[in-house]
Amino acid sequence: MDIELVKFMFILTVMSLYLNFAITLYGVVAKVNLVKKLIALTILQDTVNVFTVLIGYRLWRPGLILQPPALTDMNPTPEIIKDFVERSVDPLPQAFVLTAIVIGLAVTLFLTTIVLHVNYHFKTVNVDEIGGMKRRYIHEEAV
Amino acid sequence: MMDYVDLVFLMMGITAVISVSFTFLAVKTKDLMHAVIFSSVQSIAYALVYFLLMAPDIVLVYVAVSVGIYPLILILVVKRVGRFEVTA
Repeated sequence: MDIELVKFMFILTVMSLYLNFAITLYGVVAKVNLVKKLIALTILQDTVNVFTVLIGYRLWRPGLILQPPALTDMNPTPEIIKDFVERSVDPLPQAFVLTAIVIGLAVTLFLTTIVLHVNYHFKTVNVDEIGGMKRRYIHEEAV
Repeated sequence: MMDYVDLVFLMMGITAVISVSFTFLAVKTKDLMHAVIFSSVQSIAYALVYFLLMAPDIVLVYVAVSVGIYPLILILVVKRVGRFEVTA
């Protein structure tokens, strides 16, 4: 195991996730099209999920046996449990992320219906044009 | 001299860089259908990152949701609202 390569690649992964976060946050804030905002929001959500899984990750060390981290003993002694906990990743963030993906699907479907209703009312999904139309309607109401 | 652990981290880093480039393309392009396809490719890269981070149970859900259902509903929306993003 080349520890320098492993460290460099791990830091490269985390930096790429930060960069993804920045690009998609720019997309959510600065793009004028609502569908483009929705696409950027889904990628932002996935980036946060990858960060959450990264919390529970345990770095590979030399001398580890390459097998799935599962208990094969029916009556485990404390030493076996200690050895198991030392080489398995944390499953709690993975369970949270599994829930968050499904909830994110529901949120995206809800936002999709909102975009379709906005398109039905205003005949456009450009937020600048929608703002101008609303300003004009309010002005006509006042006059 | 490469062993298994080096290969895992090499794949993780390269996949993360690929996902950054596809995120940039998805935010940059004016064609919404291309943006949907780029975000789907980016989701495949994230699925590989999940697998290399020892979370294969998330990959089962994530691939079905993010490569299957998101492009489906987004393509239906894009067909309704118009394909090209108009800059004022």
